[in-house]
Amino acid sequence: MIPAPFDYQAPATLEEAVTLLASDPDGAKVLAGGHSLIPAMKLRLAQPQLLVDIARIKSLSYIREEGDQILIGATTTHYQMESSELLQRICPLLSDCARSIGDVQVRNKGTIGGSIAHSDPAGDWPAAVLALDAELVLLGPNGERTENAGDFFVDLLTTSLMPGEILREIRIRKPSGRFGQAYQKVPHPASGFAVVGIAVHLALNDDGSCRSAAIGVTGVGTKAYRAQAVEAALAGTNLDDNTIASAVAHICDGIDPNADLYATGEYRCHLAQVHARRAIQAAKTKAQ
Amino acid sequence: MKLEGSHQLEASRERVYQSLVNPEVLQRCIPGCERLERTGDNTFAATIRAGVGSIKGVFDGKVRLEDLREPEHFRMVVEGKGAAGFLKGSGNLDLEQDGDFTRVNYSGDVQVGGTIASVGQRMIQGTAKMMATQFFTCLGAEAKTEVGEPPPQHGFFRTALRWFSGWLKRFFRTGRG
Repeated sequence: MIPAPFDYQAPATLEEAVTLLASDPDGAKVLAGGHSLIPAMKLRLAQPQLLVDIARIKSLSYIREEGDQILIGATTTHYQMESSELLQRICPLLSDCARSIGDVQVRNKGTIGGSIAHSDPAGDWPAAVLALDAELVLLGPNGERTENAGDFFVDLLTTSLMPGEILREIRIRKPSGRFGQAYQKVPHPASGFAVVGIAVHLALNDDGSCRSAAIGVTGVGTKAYRAQAVEAALAGTNLDDNTIASAVAHICDGIDPNADLYATGEYRCHLAQVHARRAIQAAKTKAQ
Repeated sequence: MKLEGSHQLEASRERVYQSLVNPEVLQRCIPGCERLERTGDNTFAATIRAGVGSIKGVFDGKVRLEDLREPEHFRMVVEGKGAAGFLKGSGNLDLEQDGDFTRVNYSGDVQVGGTIASVGQRMIQGTAKMMATQFFTCLGAEAKTEVGEPPPQHGFFRTALRWFSGWLKRFFRTGRG
């Protein structure tokens, strides 16, 4: 449980952090909350040469409104997300998702940016930011670029972040009109990671019918994904129980589900269907 | 752990088969392969730096090919170990010609032990699938080049691009919008 030797730098600004990362793009790793990277280092599964600690950059931790967007700094902790009065009021999916993560210690230290950049196949945040069509702001040696959440998650633990780039900010369009959100999760009893996790954002028309549905799924595939077949089956309907039940049958469409000692692929898909149904119903209730 | 999958490559069965048993091609296509040497008739020794994201490990391994029936079938027996764990397994590869394409079906049984198995269990299958996709995408590009032509360039971007264009082709062929 002792990591391999490594260097440690705690830059005061994000620009310094980018320069440090660029000095050794392959050997340097960004350290945020450290709840995935440090355990991996202690087991020597990860052996970075240099850790660039961005958790001490104060200006990276914030939740604020700007125009029609919510801006979230990358090192905002799960606890800050969970307890944000702003999020509870205008985008409760984010605070609900945060509340379901790990335990108090993990939520006090772990960050939303770290979780998204790590892209753990069972991480909770990827499902939520997918369902909310978030934009991710990435800063690298060549400047800044934005990427849609849908293009960001590439594969298992793999994102479109280039070596030397840092996830700086998460931007979410403020939900408007009549909408309902829910996050439903089956936590692994030992790790708290999602065996399955379902994030739902429903936009309703004035007559109560479904204008559009966005469903992010984590834990099932090698990366979080949008359940597009389910979304299409819900759009335009009245969201009655039969429609929801037949729509969620498509939750694993096009996905080769993960299997491990705890849950087979078939069981995971079954769980995903049951919890997608509950999440959609909960979101519908909240919208009314 | 059972591993199963199927990949379609745009080349004749003979070319795909030749590529699959060619140590030079394999070294270029196995993700993270640093060394692959022939040690006997159908045995090879390899060093592979494998990993996803920040998780990486170096493995030394031996590969033996059996039941060679060119160009349709062979059996592969693999044994490897590294600081992070060990793996042992065997699998069958079957090649089917399908017009201009070749379909490679593989199925095998792998045992993984050590640190990787105890803490990374939930990710092993995903990692294996991802590496298999990278491998077959690269192999498809290799098998398409003519004899005597220089081997294609590989790198993260080229492989990703090939994977993506292959996916697009499949997407449009199945006509799903």
